Amino acid sequence: MRNRALVPSFQRPPSSVVIRRAANYEQDLASLIYESLAVFNLPLKGKTVLLKPNLVGLDSLGVMNTHPSVIAATRECFLRLGASQVFIGDGPAMDRDTEAIVESVRLRDYTGPLARTFVDLNVDDVERVPLKTHASRLNELYLPKTALGVDFLVSMPKLKTHHWAGVTLSLKNMFGIVPGSCYGWPKNVLHWAGIDRAILDVNAAARPDFAIVDGILGMEGNGPIQGTPKASRVLICGSDPVAVDATCCRIMGLMPERVKYLARAGTLLGHVNIHKIQQLGESIASVRTPFAVLPAFRAMAE
Amino acid sequence: MEADLESSFPRSVCLPFLRNAHNADGGWGFHPGSQSRAEPTCWAILALINSSEGGACEAVDRGFRFLRAAQLPDGSWPSTPEEKTGCWVTSLACWVLDSEKDSATAVAAGLRWLCEDWPRDSTLWRRFIGRFSAQRHVFPINNSYRGWGWTPRTSSWVEPTSFALLALRCAPQAVLPAVAQRRRQLAEAMLYDRMCPGGGWNCGNPSVYGVAGEPLVVPTAWALIALRAHPQRPENVSSLAWLEASIPQIQGAGSLALARICLETYGRAWPSGAPQLHDLHEKNAFLQSVQVAAWATLAVNRRRHWLAPARGEAA
Repeated sequence: MRNRALVPSFQRPPSSVVIRRAANYEQDLASLIYESLAVFNLPLKGKTVLLKPNLVGLDSLGVMNTHPSVIAATRECFLRLGASQVFIGDGPAMDRDTEAIVESVRLRDYTGPLARTFVDLNVDDVERVPLKTHASRLNELYLPKTALGVDFLVSMPKLKTHHWAGVTLSLKNMFGIVPGSCYGWPKNVLHWAGIDRAILDVNAAARPDFAIVDGILGMEGNGPIQGTPKASRVLICGSDPVAVDATCCRIMGLMPERVKYLARAGTLLGHVNIHKIQQLGESIASVRTPFAVLPAFRAMAE
Repeated sequence: MEADLESSFPRSVCLPFLRNAHNADGGWGFHPGSQSRAEPTCWAILALINSSEGGACEAVDRGFRFLRAAQLPDGSWPSTPEEKTGCWVTSLACWVLDSEKDSATAVAAGLRWLCEDWPRDSTLWRRFIGRFSAQRHVFPINNSYRGWGWTPRTSSWVEPTSFALLALRCAPQAVLPAVAQRRRQLAEAMLYDRMCPGGGWNCGNPSVYGVAGEPLVVPTAWALIALRAHPQRPENVSSLAWLEASIPQIQGAGSLALARICLETYGRAWPSGAPQLHDLHEKNAFLQSVQVAAWATLAVNRRRHWLAPARGEAA
């Protein structure tokens, strides 16, 4: 069972975030990701890994969901690094036919048969988890045993804006582990608890060990489903999901300190402060691609 | 040949799968070997009852016992046995247990809980302050129509409202609380209000920030089944047309099974060139889902006792 102690950000050492250019989904992403993972010297030998992509809906164009080529390349890398098993799992929020979603993105074409590899987190066995933080009024959540039981949890979002939260990156992506079989489609109890606050509570309960963001083709405007495609042609990764999200914001031309949940996550779950983040690979300035946001979030723009 | 393969598919694949997934405590989990939960138990029971398969009776009786034991003291059912708060699964349990003679008291208590569970988003106070909220243009919906949420004291959504309507529809008049008729009217109005422009439903957002919501197969099928007493209403007709047109693109077995159940419930023929459940099973083995195996069984078997007309309603 994952039960990592929470370390306040002021006690955390600086975090590293790697930015890599990736022109498209056809290029050799496995080599790119493998080189990026090597920077972190991850202890993965014999470990079980869960890759948690962002699968939100039927999407034959590859705009709203994490692209299957990124998922498959990451899976290949973790196996090469010695992981004993690498599962892929998500609990889509709006549609309970998870199989239809993974088929619409052609995940099986990239990873092979899904029956033993893919876990529908919406209908996984669950365990009661008392929440470590009380940002929201949720005192506990039932969370999937697969997500709680693996040795290494990887959040793999798409680089997108979000019409309620401002941006949806590796922290917001963790809403997908909250099971629909307990909380519904959508997981409305999280909205009533306050999206920003619930993001903190969910991530404190099951903080991802690593984040890899698919920013090759993202979404701006009225995301996470009805926005406009936006190509940044980057992959961003690191072992501090808050630092990764903060870096993504800066690439999107947004100020992470003005994203409510990120600003608060910066005190407890990781680093938002740019001076505490060591940027590796490409510089932010060289890949910066300003994203359009809805009027309600204009204050986030740089 | 294809038709034979499809019609024998429940007997050759789905029913053995459901039998093997049956837990010792009488319930079913969402997957073989997983913890028993009320929802998959309901679907498995419906599939077995409808299959009339030899040996199914004993499994169904054990399933009924599991369901009755899972009921909370307030009459509701939780989504998972450790949970102490009931949820939308209560509708499903009432609907399934209605066919069982020893469950009348349990069903009556469940329906009482259901009728007392009002969504929080549409209280008088919320509707009043909603008039001044900037959000009123973001979600142009009529909050005076009230259905059911997935969990208590949240918002109305299409699927839990559809399941509640199905539970109320099949229950004997004698056990229905006085408010049941009013709740049915409000819930039906809420479903029609939440229909996507052009027909069909998604979870319940017909439009966000002025952009029309895309309908989805699963909520559309359940909403249409729940509203089948009004087959001539333009909303039903356009939604049925949307569902029919989307069949060739369906890629999930759960959606395919429900689309077929829905279309045939409305007396429409299942198109001969439609995707086949056994073909989809070959791709992902239904992701080992008990629920999808049950829906597939129900879809192929045309004896739909479980969707019998409401009491007092003509067949």
